[in-house]
Amino acid sequence: MSGGMQTLPPTQAPSSVEYGGDEISALVLDPGCAWTRAGFAGEDTPKCVIPSSYGAIGGKEDSKPELVFGDNGINAIRPGMEIKNPMSDGIVADWDVAPQLWRHALTSRLASNLSEHPLLMTEPAWNPPKNREKTMEIAFEDFDVPAFYLAKSAVCASFASGKATCLLIDIGASNVSVTPIHDGFVLRKGVTRTPLGGDFLSNQIRTYLASINVPISAHYQILSKTAVDVGKPAEAVLRQFAPGQEPTASYKTYQEERVLTQFKECAAQVWNGPGPLPPATTPGAADQSFNFGGGRTFEFPDGYNLVFGSERFRITEGIFTPRNMLTHPDIPHPDPETTMGIGSIMASALKDVDIELKGQILNNVLVTGGASLLMGLTDRVNSELGVAFPGPRLRITATGNPVERKYAGWLGGSILASLGSFHQLWVSRKEYDEHGPGIVEKRCK
Amino acid sequence: MSRSGVGLSAECVPLFEQLKSRKLKYIIYRLSDDKKTIIKEKTSEDDDLHTNALPKEEEAYEKFLAALPELDCRYAIYDFEFDVGEGKRSKICFFTWSPDDAPVKAKMIYSSSKDGLRRALAGVHTEIQGTDFSEVAYETVLEKASRGR
Repeated sequence: MSGGMQTLPPTQAPSSVEYGGDEISALVLDPGCAWTRAGFAGEDTPKCVIPSSYGAIGGKEDSKPELVFGDNGINAIRPGMEIKNPMSDGIVADWDVAPQLWRHALTSRLASNLSEHPLLMTEPAWNPPKNREKTMEIAFEDFDVPAFYLAKSAVCASFASGKATCLLIDIGASNVSVTPIHDGFVLRKGVTRTPLGGDFLSNQIRTYLASINVPISAHYQILSKTAVDVGKPAEAVLRQFAPGQEPTASYKTYQEERVLTQFKECAAQVWNGPGPLPPATTPGAADQSFNFGGGRTFEFPDGYNLVFGSERFRITEGIFTPRNMLTHPDIPHPDPETTMGIGSIMASALKDVDIELKGQILNNVLVTGGASLLMGLTDRVNSELGVAFPGPRLRITATGNPVERKYAGWLGGSILASLGSFHQLWVSRKEYDEHGPGIVEKRCK
Repeated sequence: MSRSGVGLSAECVPLFEQLKSRKLKYIIYRLSDDKKTIIKEKTSEDDDLHTNALPKEEEAYEKFLAALPELDCRYAIYDFEFDVGEGKRSKICFFTWSPDDAPVKAKMIYSSSKDGLRRALAGVHTEIQGTDFSEVAYETVLEKASRGR
């Protein structure tokens, strides 16, 4: 990211002359499974990042539920509020809610009138044509934008790293995807994904904690806590709810997820050898037999804390060797036998790429996505690729800047939409009126 | 048109034709100041041409590399001459120079505008995507250019 950029107040659009832009300031929206990112084109971070999860209150039989969006809305304790998510596997699953979520992301802090700003949206490489048309229809019919463009998130991320040709490995919330890109175009047959992203990791942690009978507490449940020694029962004052006023189970799960996110950031780590991760024979005992670089303490919101040793690696190992994933009858998990690990999907993505191009692509491997920040992950991706494609030309890049890693797709879209030359690529309202939503296939490749 | 809408200035292709007819050794292209077209930044001088004594090729190439900016992106065409024991050969190389430390905006605009220039130039033998000087080092490019394609 170029340094020295100033942050503007949230409602002010950036100066458009700075980089040869037009007078219009476009909006950029990157809708992901966990987060929806929105901001003005030309800026280096999205000004508005809200959870893609939302709250639904009430709504029985003939009345529609009241929907709440954004961090403040969904984290507030409200009796009866269900937490839901309109996205699934990176694409829209609920077309009633997704446009409302997008509108909230665009209008709550950025623009009051969407009809004044061209809109660039990003999409995953596996977005089906029906969804692409529907997205364009919503932009023009519902948001009334003057111009629209739909760009592949993987291509945007690749461009933002200065690469027109690359293998993009995106470790997101709902899945891990691998996208081969040549001269700015997705090699569609090579796009491969596996459901082993951040959400899978959360469930691995849940599974492990369930196996040692450690309940996950969430911040909202705790009024106050007292420091306790490692492994000792928590001494916390819990928030009490009157009958009928308790938060819903989905709210509890969502709040636990925030704790698990901290666990991933503080305690989880990817095994990087030497050799494969040694199996655990008896709980606790076997873990002393290999060097896992010391334990890490994690404290739950209620003060209960434990030192995690080799388990820190076991909860992440399933991403690479699904056979070794942890399982529990009550916690959902993909099939350990048939699910492909990261190494296999990388090999599969390049299977049909011709040999010359394969060399160029392997020389430009990019890792992005929030879950890629897991400690040790890029090193492991590197060694797995080295096994699948032995040769000296492997070169893997992952920016050290976590903001850029999380928002790579948005950032690429932001720059693209801010270029003065890009005005020829926008699909205008007039063109949409003439050709209908089918124009998306022709124009947004 | 490229993925970014950036177009080519009228001089881009004729310069390449000159290089193909061996009147130029290299061409460096950059984005215009308004970021809307690709223009010529620099071409080789007459001295750089006719490096018939092959040891001079490496020298000419080093001179070309020195013309690439450390913190900004460029496109370049270089007529690479070599002899790996099968007589003198010459291959035209297309460089996308995008150093890791260049501003993200520059990286974005150069990578998204590349296909427009690349497709307009027929007769390129080898493509080099360079993010640091090791990737465009003489030996690396020699290895790529002398390999079948």
